[in-house]
Amino acid sequence: MPTAVEPGTATRHGSPSENRVVAICGPPNVGKSSFFNRLTGLRQKVANYPGITVEKRLGSLRLEDGGQVDLIDLPGIVGLHPRSEDERVCVEILRGQSDTLPRPAAAILLLDSTNLQAHLRMVPGILGLGLPTLVVLNMADELEARGGSVDTKAVSAQIGAPVVLASAVTGAGMEEVVRFLRGSFAPAGKVELPVINNIPAERQWAHSVAARSSYHAPEPSLWGRRLDRIFLHPVGGPLIFLAVVIAVFQSIFTLAVPIMDAVESAIGVSAGWIGALLPDSMLKGLLLDGVWGGVGSVVVFLPQILILFLFIGLLEDSGYLARAAVIADRSMRAVGLEGRSFIPLLSSYACAIPAVMAARTIENQRDRLATLLIAPLTTCSARLPVYALLIAAFIPERPLIGPFLGTRAAVLLGLYAAGFFAACGTAWLLKSAVLKSKPAPFVLQLPAYRWPTIRSLTFRLVDRSKIFLRRAGTVILVTTIVLWFLASVPYQNGEPPPIGESLAGSIGRTIEPLVEPLGLNWKIGIGLITSLAAREVIVGTLGTIYGMESDEGSPALQQALQAELSFGGAIALLMYFAFAMQCMSTVAIVRRETGGWTWPAIQFAYMLVLAYSTGFAAYRIFG
Amino acid sequence: MPDTESDSLDRLSPGVTAVIAALDFEEADRVRLMELGFIPGSSVSCQRVVPLGDLAIFQVEGTQVALRKETAARITLQASDAGRNPDADGG
Ligand SMILES: Nc1nc2c(ncn2[C@@H]2O[C@H](COP(=O)(O)OP(=O)(O)O)[C@@H](O)[C@H]2O)c(=O)[nH]1
Ligand SMILES: [Mg+2]
Repeated sequence: MPTAVEPGTATRHGSPSENRVVAICGPPNVGKSSFFNRLTGLRQKVANYPGITVEKRLGSLRLEDGGQVDLIDLPGIVGLHPRSEDERVCVEILRGQSDTLPRPAAAILLLDSTNLQAHLRMVPGILGLGLPTLVVLNMADELEARGGSVDTKAVSAQIGAPVVLASAVTGAGMEEVVRFLRGSFAPAGKVELPVINNIPAERQWAHSVAARSSYHAPEPSLWGRRLDRIFLHPVGGPLIFLAVVIAVFQSIFTLAVPIMDAVESAIGVSAGWIGALLPDSMLKGLLLDGVWGGVGSVVVFLPQILILFLFIGLLEDSGYLARAAVIADRSMRAVGLEGRSFIPLLSSYACAIPAVMAARTIENQRDRLATLLIAPLTTCSARLPVYALLIAAFIPERPLIGPFLGTRAAVLLGLYAAGFFAACGTAWLLKSAVLKSKPAPFVLQLPAYRWPTIRSLTFRLVDRSKIFLRRAGTVILVTTIVLWFLASVPYQNGEPPPIGESLAGSIGRTIEPLVEPLGLNWKIGIGLITSLAAREVIVGTLGTIYGMESDEGSPALQQALQAELSFGGAIALLMYFAFAMQCMSTVAIVRRETGGWTWPAIQFAYMLVLAYSTGFAAYRIFG
Repeated sequence: MPDTESDSLDRLSPGVTAVIAALDFEEADRVRLMELGFIPGSSVSCQRVVPLGDLAIFQVEGTQVALRKETAARITLQASDAGRNPDADGG
């Protein structure tokens, strides 16, 4: 494996000041990310643009002469008139107006060769920016398979920039791309292009360039229409949508269980080895109970999170997600939001933070505010470990609908539904009272259906694993260590105290009256505090607390919980986690996005009241 | 299907192709719709009306775009005889 290079820092080759940053730009869904992945392999990182959190992907490519080129995967644009935040970032970087990134030395404009006459319209605008530009006509494999063809030399002669026909999937044309990246990025010769900012003229020009390049458009693919007929069917469409959602939740449990068992026993076995290697000391306690126990109990949930993201990836890459947005539009309207809010809300199933960011694509400020206020109510992936632990401990598995839906998956589905309906109800309240506005126009491009590729799915999962493990290695690790110390002081006769008499114990007992009405004890109370850092921290906290209390090693966390919590208490805890804003990063992001503490404070209080009252009710009902 | 009078996009029946004449929006919305392919001179066809909702899916400049009826109503079509299709883009 090649050594990891921190992309975007310094070039290892040539003078350090030499700028070898190349931006990959183009319309959405032309394969920019696939192309970027193909060039950089695993030598990439996902980060946020400082100041605004639109994800940026940086990667680097080593050339065989030892040189290095840094690549940026930019968000898709349909022109140079950005309307949303991510489009604005893309255009600013290309124009060299970004405060945080230097202007790239060159650009690669990616276009879809199967829709060339329309996509060539992007060329005058991008070339007009004055960067040395390589135009890549991607999807060459599909163009050929469907009987299309194009003379790239003729295109190149007319636009005055190098043109390559390539495929990010098969790798065709990549040598020519690498040759461009190795070159000296000399500005191209001047060629007469139509006036920028006149879209009808650009369209005319694009169609005539295609015609003069003997462009044969590929046969339209018929199965796209057939699939639409199925997925957008008046009755079948919504039913398929439901079936897909149920399948995702069922497999989170059935598929993930054996993998999780394997991870769990690996953690147990390795803890045994470490225990045998280290002499008895405070450090050993910290390593075994604090770090291994706390972080380990969170890492166990990686398989479930990856399965969730695998499904999201499948839905997105196949093109189904946009159809789901079309189906959801009507419901979004019913609660007073525009259909565009669907996409941020959907991504809040992964994490509320990108969702709050993605709400920037909504131009109507009131809709945007409503969207980012309700986003933390939808079930983010950080709740999954908490749900999974409590469900496994308290819900016996029984088949409900034959082999298709069991009780556990049904409860999980119910929790997701609770979050969803709370979000909708809140949106409706907001939109019919404080944030009234006229509905905005809804325009949504539907990408072509495609087979998701193993490659692209793999990259998504690697990205997710990195993010999850980074969290486990930072926020979760730090909270676990702090908690471990709180639980180990004050020493009594040179020994750590029983947990109840430790500092953590006294904090827990102080807040116990607050959590008692929900059927929770002070240990869970400590978890509710530590999990303000991140929801999944509660799993590690309980791991640490129960691991430390027991005499003969760590009892399985589930058994410990079963002994300490009533069924009603468990349901109350689930409700609390479904609705409470247990995530300081989200609070911080909402503060930044709304420019003050008012909205995050209201949001935090509202969600706390909702969480506490439903938890209280659940404990009353289920005892 | 568009007749002698200028018609709007929301009244295009599924399967029928017509040519866009003008967009009646404020500048920023007009530019965005053009960037998505609704350019005067482009041929557009209605692919399907999404049931229960008020969305329709159009094929324009080689891509599929979903629009609300009220948005489509502000895009006018060139008066043309049936089937005339000067800019058919084979894909
Ligand atoms: N057949 C084919 N599919 C491709 C090619 N490049 C990308 N794709 C697919 O196109 C879809 C969109 O790709 P992605 O890289 O996410 O596009 P982006 O939105 O421009 O970043 C994915 O399903 C890819 O697998 C290609 O060269 N040929
Ligand atoms: Mg992408």
